[in-house]
Amino acid sequence: MNYLISLIIGAITSVMILLNGTLSNAYGNYASSIIIHVAGLISILLVLFISKSKFRLQAGLPIYLYGAGFIGVATVLFTNLSFENLGVSLTQALGLLGQTTISLFLDHFGLSGANSSGFKVKKLIGLFFIAGGILVMTIY
Amino acid sequence: MLFIYLLISFSAGASVVLGRIINSTLAEKIGTLQSTLINYITGLSLSYFIYLISKGEPLLSAVNKISVPLWAYLGGSAGVVIIMCSNYITPKLSAFYVTLLVFIGQLLIGIIIDYFVLQELSIGKCIGGLLVLIGLTYNLWIDRKESDR
Repeated sequence: MNYLISLIIGAITSVMILLNGTLSNAYGNYASSIIIHVAGLISILLVLFISKSKFRLQAGLPIYLYGAGFIGVATVLFTNLSFENLGVSLTQALGLLGQTTISLFLDHFGLSGANSSGFKVKKLIGLFFIAGGILVMTIY
Repeated sequence: MLFIYLLISFSAGASVVLGRIINSTLAEKIGTLQSTLINYITGLSLSYFIYLISKGEPLLSAVNKISVPLWAYLGGSAGVVIIMCSNYITPKLSAFYVTLLVFIGQLLIGIIIDYFVLQELSIGKCIGGLLVLIGLTYNLWIDRKESDR
């Protein structure tokens, strides 16, 4: 069951790229980013309401902790741009390369928080396979 | 031009990791659903700001005539569903399996969508996807070996 849920998370991610990309084609990248965020906001408000969660801001937290939403906008804009030109599967394969590379980088400098284990040269082998796979996807 | 789009989708992936690290830190303090709410509020504000300063984009009212299928508006909701499912699964399954299975699900459905939308089923995408999967599995395996010690 848990395996199935993991697969479904991936499937929804792909469908989401299609939905957001379709919206972006019709409204343009910037206007669609507004629509996407409004839909998400309504959904999370609904979830908070149904689950009767309390909402309380904690004082004294560093301000940058509230900045993930700004980075999320970059994710949405970049993904939509990429979808229009590269399709779903290539967008994801490259996104994965980006994720892996930045993770290695952050691990190396101990910026990823808990359990940073330092850079392992062996991981370049995996990176090499991922990059090779993307090359095949792009030029085929 | 292709190179620029390759770079853009690479950056999209990098931004996912940065956003996740910051957001999970906030989630520890005020809760996952609450930090997700903050994300959407700040994200919406920035989206609106960018929209205002970007001239030449069509106004919302002007493009209403274009027929957009209703399902296309559910992308934001899909994002919330993903966050909730991830929260449910993270404590139940090792990160190794979650990351792998999520990627397999992504790639499988991604190739199917590309087949229907772009009208192409390329052998290259299947072979390439397999190579990406091998590389990912190898790196995750190194991680796991490391954390077992």
